[in-house]
Amino acid sequence: MSTLVYMKILELDPARYDRRMRMATFGRIDRIKREIAAHWVEPGDRVLEIGCGTGSLAALMIERGAHVVGIDISDGMLEIARANASSADLLHLTAMEIDTLGEARFDRIVATFSLSELSPDEFDHVFDLAINALKRGGRLVIADEVRPSHRWQRALAACIRRPLAVLTFLLTRSGTRALRGLDHRISRAGLKIVHRESYLLGAFTLIVAEKESCS
Amino acid sequence: MFLNLLKDFWLLFGRMFPLPTTPGLREAGKPTRSSPVLVTCNFDLTVRKVLRTLERSGIDAWLLVAPSRGINVWCASGAGHFTADTVISILKTSGIAGRVDHRKLILPQLSGAGVNIWSIEERTGWKARFGPLRIEDLAGYLERGKHRAEPSERRVKFDFTDRLVMGTNLGFSSLVFFILPILIASIWLGSFWWKSIVLIFVLAVLNSLLVFRLPGKPGAARGLSLGIGAAALFLAVSWLVGGPPAGASFAWAGWILFVATYLGYDLPSWSPLWRADRKELLLGKRHTRIEIVEEKCIGCHLCDVVCPVGVFRRNPKTRRYFVADAGACQACGACVENCPTEAIATNFRSAVCKCPTCAVINRVNALKEERTDENESVGGDIAPESACCKGDGAASPESTTAEPAPRACDCGPSRGEHR
Repeated sequence: MSTLVYMKILELDPARYDRRMRMATFGRIDRIKREIAAHWVEPGDRVLEIGCGTGSLAALMIERGAHVVGIDISDGMLEIARANASSADLLHLTAMEIDTLGEARFDRIVATFSLSELSPDEFDHVFDLAINALKRGGRLVIADEVRPSHRWQRALAACIRRPLAVLTFLLTRSGTRALRGLDHRISRAGLKIVHRESYLLGAFTLIVAEKESCS
Repeated sequence: MFLNLLKDFWLLFGRMFPLPTTPGLREAGKPTRSSPVLVTCNFDLTVRKVLRTLERSGIDAWLLVAPSRGINVWCASGAGHFTADTVISILKTSGIAGRVDHRKLILPQLSGAGVNIWSIEERTGWKARFGPLRIEDLAGYLERGKHRAEPSERRVKFDFTDRLVMGTNLGFSSLVFFILPILIASIWLGSFWWKSIVLIFVLAVLNSLLVFRLPGKPGAARGLSLGIGAAALFLAVSWLVGGPPAGASFAWAGWILFVATYLGYDLPSWSPLWRADRKELLLGKRHTRIEIVEEKCIGCHLCDVVCPVGVFRRNPKTRRYFVADAGACQACGACVENCPTEAIATNFRSAVCKCPTCAVINRVNALKEERTDENESVGGDIAPESACCKGDGAASPESTTAEPAPRACDCGPSRGEHR
């Protein structure tokens, strides 16, 4: 999944983003999205999706019976999301503004491949806001690139990632950064990790963390 | 200190590459709860220069360094990396709201191509306003306390120092283009490689410094004029001092002519004055159109405030604005982005810039048009935020009937430091 740094290039063309991301991840991305929709979202849940992109995950969650609010800062992506997940509430909003959606409103907050686009400061801020926006007993579902825990895995991931990062940077003048210290951040916020899955030599992870139901 | 010198040296050549510094809140002098709040990009050079200038002019201010991906203000805003979203992000994460009593922001004028001040006000309550184009003029702007900078403070310039630095940068970026053929030719021609590198740098700097004095239209024509002069001089000197044999001299003259023309063609993308429109630079044809729909104009003067080249003027009778100098328009889209009544009609559409991002988008748009021609439905348009230049998003409804013409974008290689 180190190859995901080049997602920024694919984002240039929202119309074909999904198909190309599928190719770039050997179909893995669809399996992860299906797993999130099937196992980590319940019918009737109020879900906030940070960085909904083309709305492919939003559509799956709506199919499952959830009510989805999706936010993104790309109007091009939102336009496609409106076609893919027409019954979701789709808003042009930065992740830093999710406090405007209200406190303790959501049963699930889902972020796939979006937190890695934030700067460390932004990430910290969004993390706090997200926890505030979660209901008690609500869950935070994060699927993103992370720094692998073992040294040799990190070296291998870097070998794959670096050249692609250079290419991405040359084409889009931007990139993503693998999340660091996610576990630490989650436990510091008092959330309990209920599920964790690592893929591709630990370079990619799916984490589900729960906000305590009573304090 | 040493690191800064190293960065400055690099910036003589590699200004087209981003050089990020940590986004966040900086203090200039000793700001208080009523001190002005300024916003800038997180291009290292810009932040250092802004802080230095503020210190020198004795201004106490809060400086919000927004996450523009390490790109300078103008390029980042043109490429969708410095938008209302970026400013909102730094407003929220920096905690500035707790440090001041007012809710007023001063933005750099050149951020207008990406930042919509109405969106910031609507979403955060902060009243944003465009300050002067250069940070040097900020002291005067603050002192006068007016909402808009003087016309002279709102225009881009291309003065000697800028031209010198852009010349060396142009040389370096052109090297990327020429290096492979030069190295291959050097297998047979020996010392050709270093002579060519010197030639490229000398011609690039000359092109940039003399650009106002060369005959012809900006672009390839001016480069050609310089090339003819330089090649003639070279032939004359080599004939006088008995340099290389005639055949080799003519080959060198041809090479000088070619390099100079290419550099002339590429120079506008390094200048703040001319657009990097490929067709215009090669053939001298202009594609972009801009006009104000008079009935919609409310005379708010925002288009004039954001325009870096002075396209607009106010009609004193109607108190509305009109396009006075369409020829100067760089199609940056700042006026379109910020016009509260969508009164500005343009045919700016796709990017026609030589930077890699634009090249990709142009290709995508061309493919999309081909597909539309084949009556195949196309889902959605290119993402304005992630893409360089805001493409269709910048066009107003009036312009949709217009024949799709390229939108020029100057956000290719990065430009002046303090923008």
